[in-house]
Amino acid sequence: MMQSVSAQNRKRIAKTAHFVGLFIAMSIICIPGLWIVLNSFRPTVEIMAKPPVWIPNELNLDHYRAMFGGAGEGGVPVLTYFRNSMIISITSTVIALLVGMGGGYAFARYHFKGKSAIFVGLMVTRAVPGVALSLPLFIIFARLGIIDTHFGIILAYVAMNVPFTIWLIDGFMRQIPKELAEAAEIDGCTRWQAFWRVEFPVARSGIASAGIFAFLTSWNEYALASQLSRSTTSKTMPVGLLDFTSEFTLNWGGMCALAVLMILPALVLTFLVQKHLIAGLTFGGVKG
Amino acid sequence: MKRFKMPPWLVLLLPAIIILSAVVLIPLVLSLYSSFTPYKLTRPESLYKWIGTFNYEKALGDTKFWAAFGRTILLLTIALNLEMLCGLGLALMVSKVTRGQRALRTAMMFPMMFSPILVGFQFKFIFNDNVGLVNNALQSLGITDMAIPWLVDGKLAMFAIIFAEMWTSTSVFAILILAGLFAIPQDPLEAAKVDGCTPIQSFRFVTLPFLMPFIYIAMAIRSLDVARAYDIVQIMTNGGPARRTELLWTLIGRTGYVDAKMGYANAMGYISIFLAIFFTIYFFRKLTAARAELGMGV
Amino acid sequence: MAQVHLKNVVKKYGSLEVVHAINLDIEDGEFVVLVGPSGCGKSTTLRMIAGLEDISGGDIEIGDRVVNDLAPRDRNISMVFQNYALYPHMTVQENLGFSLKIAKFSQSEIDAAVQNAAEILSLTDLMDRKPGALSGGQRQRVAMGRAIVRHPDVFLFDEPLSNLDAKLRTQMRVEIKKLHQKVKSTIVYVTHDQIEAMTLADRIVIMRDGHIEQIGTPLDVFEHPVNTFVASFIGSPPMNFLEAQIDGGKIILQDGTALTMPAGYAANEGQKVTFGVRADNIMPQNHAMPAGNNMALVEMEVSLTEPLGTETLLFAELAGSEVQAKMLNPRPVQNGERLTFEISLDKCHIFDAQTGNALKAQ
Repeated sequence: MMQSVSAQNRKRIAKTAHFVGLFIAMSIICIPGLWIVLNSFRPTVEIMAKPPVWIPNELNLDHYRAMFGGAGEGGVPVLTYFRNSMIISITSTVIALLVGMGGGYAFARYHFKGKSAIFVGLMVTRAVPGVALSLPLFIIFARLGIIDTHFGIILAYVAMNVPFTIWLIDGFMRQIPKELAEAAEIDGCTRWQAFWRVEFPVARSGIASAGIFAFLTSWNEYALASQLSRSTTSKTMPVGLLDFTSEFTLNWGGMCALAVLMILPALVLTFLVQKHLIAGLTFGGVKG
Repeated sequence: MKRFKMPPWLVLLLPAIIILSAVVLIPLVLSLYSSFTPYKLTRPESLYKWIGTFNYEKALGDTKFWAAFGRTILLLTIALNLEMLCGLGLALMVSKVTRGQRALRTAMMFPMMFSPILVGFQFKFIFNDNVGLVNNALQSLGITDMAIPWLVDGKLAMFAIIFAEMWTSTSVFAILILAGLFAIPQDPLEAAKVDGCTPIQSFRFVTLPFLMPFIYIAMAIRSLDVARAYDIVQIMTNGGPARRTELLWTLIGRTGYVDAKMGYANAMGYISIFLAIFFTIYFFRKLTAARAELGMGV
Repeated sequence: MAQVHLKNVVKKYGSLEVVHAINLDIEDGEFVVLVGPSGCGKSTTLRMIAGLEDISGGDIEIGDRVVNDLAPRDRNISMVFQNYALYPHMTVQENLGFSLKIAKFSQSEIDAAVQNAAEILSLTDLMDRKPGALSGGQRQRVAMGRAIVRHPDVFLFDEPLSNLDAKLRTQMRVEIKKLHQKVKSTIVYVTHDQIEAMTLADRIVIMRDGHIEQIGTPLDVFEHPVNTFVASFIGSPPMNFLEAQIDGGKIILQDGTALTMPAGYAANEGQKVTFGVRADNIMPQNHAMPAGNNMALVEMEVSLTEPLGTETLLFAELAGSEVQAKMLNPRPVQNGERLTFEISLDKCHIFDAQTGNALKAQ
C-alpha cells in the first residue's frame, strides 16, 4: 500500500518536473523572438521607459511606417535591402542547387577513387570562417571590380552553399534505390532522361528542402556580405540592420521592425519544409 | 585516336569544384601568400615584399593572440558541450510529450531561422543594462535594483555570449537527436527491458550508443558553422570591453579591416582556418566510425 | 523474340574477375534459369545481358546483333527487378505506359498496350493507384506488366520472387510460367532457389564462383549431376555424400560395407571416391521403394525423424556419416529404432573424392 502511494507520488513528481522543464525550455526559446516582435509595435518612448512598462499601453505601426516610408531616422532604404536580399538569395540558391544536384548525384551514384577524401575536402571549404575568407576575397573581388555588386555576393554565396547542398542531396539520392534509374534505362531512357523523369521527381521534396536551407543561409549571412557590399546597390538586410545603429544610439524599435521583416519569409519557408529538412539531415548523415 | 573522355562523376562534380576553387581555394592561396608579406590595404605595394614567417612569429609571440585563441577554444568547448547536453535534454523531454508534439517541434526550430547577426542584436538588446529585458525583469521582481552590466563586465559578457550562442544552436542538436530517438528500433530496447535493465541503464547502454551518430551529425553540421559566433560576438561586444571577449575571429576582423594589416590578419586567419578544419575532419571521422559501428550503410 | 548468345563473357571489377569467360546459348522462346549460391556471378551475368554492367571481355549477342556497347535502352529487353523498382511517383497506369511514352508511341497505342497487359495480369482495378498503395504481390505483377507492355526480345528476371512470402511465391511462380506460355518470349531468370529453378526452367544453368558448372534440363541436372556441387545444390533434401574407396570393383564404405557400382559409372581400382545417394533412394525395407535390380541392404539406427505429412525424413548414421532417408506412407518410428534400409544403387552417383567430378563411364 505504502509502496504504491510513493510510486504514484514519484510518478506525479516526474510528470510535474517534465512539464516545468519543458515550459522553461520553450519559454527560453520563444520569448526572445516574441519580444522582438512585440517591441516592433511599441513606441520608442515605451521601449526606453524606466521603470519598464510591462503591459503595453499602445501598439502601433509607426516603426513599420517609418521603415517602408524610408523616412525613419537616417532614412533606411529597407525596401531596397529587401529586394537585394531576395535577388541575391534566390539566384544563389538556384545556382547552388543546380551545382549541388550534380555533385550530390555524383557522390550518391558513382564509385571513384578518393571519393570520401573529395567529399570531406568539399565540406571543409564550408568550414572556413567567413571573416578569414572575407579578407582575401575582398582583395580579389576589389581587383575584379565586383565589390558592391549582386554578382559578387551571389558568387560567394553559391560557393558557401554548395558543400551543404551536396551533402543533403547526396543523402536524398542515396535513399532512392539505384534500380529505379536502371529500370528507367531499360524502359528506354537515356541516363539523363532517367534522372529527370524518375530520380528527380522522386527526390523533389528533398531537393526543395536543400534549397530552402541554402536560401536561409544566404538570407541570414552577414560576415561576407558586410565586406562585399558597400552601398544600397547590393546591401542585404542583415547588413542593413546596422543602419539603425549610430555611434552612440540604437534605434531598437526600427531594428525590431526590420528584424520581423527578415524573419517572416524564413519562418514561412521553414514551416513548409521542416519535415523534409529533418529527414534530409538525418538520412544524409546517418545512412550516407 | 580515342579522345580523352572525363568520367561522368567528374563532369558532375566539376562545377562544384570550379566554383569552390575560385571562391574559396584561390583566396586562401592568396591569403597564404599575403600572410608572408607585410601587406597593408592602404599600401598595395607592400604585397610584394616577402618577410617570411614574420607574421606567424609575431602572432605566436603575441599575448593578445593567445588570449583570443584560448578564449575561442574555451567558448567552443563550453558552448558545444552545453548545446549537446541541453539538446539531448530537450529532445528527451519533447519525445515524452504525447499531445501537441508537432507544435513543440516546430517551435524548437524557431531559433534556427534567425540570422546570427539578428541574434547578436536581439541579445544585445535583451542584456542591455538600461532597457534590456533581463535587467527589467530582475528589477521589477525586486531581485536587484542595480543595473547589472551584462555586456560590460568581462565574465558576464562571456556568459551572455555563450547564452546567445546556445540559444541559436541548441535546437540543431535537439532536432537531430529527436529524429534519432524516433528512429531507434524498439527491439533492443525491449530486449534490454527483458534482460532486467533499469530505465537509466537502458538509456545508457542502448539509447545513447544509438544516438551517437546523430549527435555527431549535429556536431559536424555545427563545426561547419562555428564561425557564426563571429557575427553574434561582433554585434554584442565586438571583442570588448577592453578585449575581454576577444575571439580569434573578432581579432582577425579588427586587425584586417580596422588596422588594415591584411598580412598579419591573414596569418591569424590561417590559424583559425586550421582550427575549423581540424574540428570538421574530427567530427566527420567520428561520424563515420559511429556509423560503421551501428552498421548503417557504407 | 530472339536468341541470346554469350561468348567467353568476362566481368572484372578492377583486378578482381567475378565472371570467368562463360559461354551460353539461349534458344528463341526458351526459359533459362541461372541458379547458384549468392556471389556466384548469376546476377552480374544477367545485368551484363541487360547492359547495366559493362562487359570486360567476350561478346553478348541478342538476335543477330552484338550488343556489347549498346545502352540498355537500345537492346529491346525488359527486366523485372528484385525489389520491383516501380516508379513511386507514377500510378500503375503510368508505370506500365512509361516505356512506350519514352519511345514516343501515340496515346491510343499506349492505352491499348497498357490495357492488354493489365488484363493479362489482372491489374485493371489498380490502374490509378501508386505503388505505395499496393501489396507485395500486386507490385510484383505491376513489375511484370511493365516488362511485357512493349513486347521485348528478351525478358530478364532478377530474383523477382525473393521478397514475397512462401505462399505468394508459389502462386507467382505459376503465373510466371503461364505468362511465358502466353507470350512465348525468351526469358532469362536469376534465382538462388533451386525449387524455383526446377519448376520454371526449360534449361537450368548452375553457376558457382563465376563459372558455369552445368547446363541442362531440370531432370537432366537432377539425375545426372556432373559434380558434387551440382548434386548437393539441386534437389531437396541435399544429396547424402559418403567417403569410400574402390576395391575389387566394389564401393567400400568406411565401415567396410561393400556396394556394387551403379550403372553408368566407372572408377579405377583403389581410387578414393565420394558415394552420393539421395534420400529418395534410401528407404526402409518393404516400404514403397520401387523395385530395382541393383539394391543393397544396410541396417541403421534412426536418430531423428522429421514428419512432413506425405513423407517422413529419417536421420540415421551410415559408415560414420549422417544420412537422410525417406519414408513414404509414413508410420511412427521411434528414435533409436534400428531398421533395415534398401539403397537403390542404380540411382546413386560416384564422384572423384578429390575433384568432385562425376566418374561417368566412357
